Amino acid sequence: MKCATSLVPTAEAAVADIRAQIGPVDGKWVIFFASSAYDPQAVSAAMKRAFPTALTCGCTTAGEIALGHMTKHSLVAMVVGDDLLDAVAIEVVTGISTRIDLSEAFAAFEKRFGEPAAKWPHDRYVGLVLIDGLSKAEERINDAIGNITDVSFIGGSAGDDLAFQATHVFADGQSYGDAAVLVLLKTRHGFGTIKTQSFKPTKRVLVATRVDEAAREVLEFDGRPAAQVYAEAVGAVDGDIAPFFQNHPVGLMLGNEPYVRSPQQRKGDAIAFYCNIAAGMELTILEGTSIIDDTRADIAKAKTDLGGIAGMINFNCILRTLELEQRGLTEDYGALFADIPTVGFSTYGESLIGHVNQTATILAFKNA
Amino acid sequence: MNGKAKQLIDAIIAQRSGGNPTLMITTRTKIMLKGVNPERFLASTPDDPVIIDKLRRIGQELGVQIY
Repeated sequence: MKCATSLVPTAEAAVADIRAQIGPVDGKWVIFFASSAYDPQAVSAAMKRAFPTALTCGCTTAGEIALGHMTKHSLVAMVVGDDLLDAVAIEVVTGISTRIDLSEAFAAFEKRFGEPAAKWPHDRYVGLVLIDGLSKAEERINDAIGNITDVSFIGGSAGDDLAFQATHVFADGQSYGDAAVLVLLKTRHGFGTIKTQSFKPTKRVLVATRVDEAAREVLEFDGRPAAQVYAEAVGAVDGDIAPFFQNHPVGLMLGNEPYVRSPQQRKGDAIAFYCNIAAGMELTILEGTSIIDDTRADIAKAKTDLGGIAGMINFNCILRTLELEQRGLTEDYGALFADIPTVGFSTYGESLIGHVNQTATILAFKNA
Repeated sequence: MNGKAKQLIDAIIAQRSGGNPTLMITTRTKIMLKGVNPERFLASTPDDPVIIDKLRRIGQELGVQIY
């Protein structure tokens, strides 16, 4: 496994820089994350030309992570070979904003791997899912995947450096919008997944009583205007709730584990979220803790549980990145990944079983 | 009547996971993300037809037979 970062500003030259840093290794699979500053089709095509014998995939970002640093306007890549992977397959699903049909993709995986999805060993097989970050399709894609298989699919939503204009996913030299890339990996030594978020639950629980799921808006909590109830819950005495969003998102709680739903903006009496919320869901108001301390602890636990990590892919929420930037902690966060080959990016949403916000979902390849 | 929702939740988890502890947790999470928090339902919870319908739909989506 090898990783590389390029800050060269044009696609062809950045890919050439990546290829030179990787050296004479072709690998079985190349995953790369590219700033939206690069032409998406040019970077995807150039990566395929640079690694012609490997399967290639990736997406655009809102910031990148590799070699122990968080970067902007860069291209990062990881090359994975036979030492960690027995097999890999990639499928693209298009038109996801209107209709989710994964049947062809999973039929192709079953054919490639020679086993029905229901029989894939969930300790050896792991999936990745990269989704157009403006499609609002993440919940439906993760739900559809979870209906088909119990193999973990981990991933993130493509970004565009906070422009919110167009995001792209990449597969095999092509660039796609309104699409998701699904990757199925048969690992040689196994893997672990890390889901880390830096929040603790408060005692305040809100019930979403009226919602617009398609718009990801909560109209009412506890039978009253959502913005008013949230303001009371977080102590926003003047009703100005936006400053409370970063440190007080809400969470679906399963035991002590929050599945974070982050408020995006107030819309009159309603609140728009980065995740959809169904009517009847009970949501706990969360309180922020330390991203650095929590992530460090969760990586350390994974290292112990797995007996060593050969490499990681980090899908880190852009809201976490923005908080790290505000606090001057981006170098500290990057340093958490300095001793293990890691690539990742700042996402518009994270996936692991479902769609979550203000979370990092991390795939960790187990050491031999 | 009480406890039907818990009975359905337990049946979905048992069938989908086949008793595998990791898959039991995964299935609980899937049910929660589909809109029913398994931790909120006990043997003493009064039956709610809306929740029971929702759980039957969830069972169908997850490919398990529940009654």
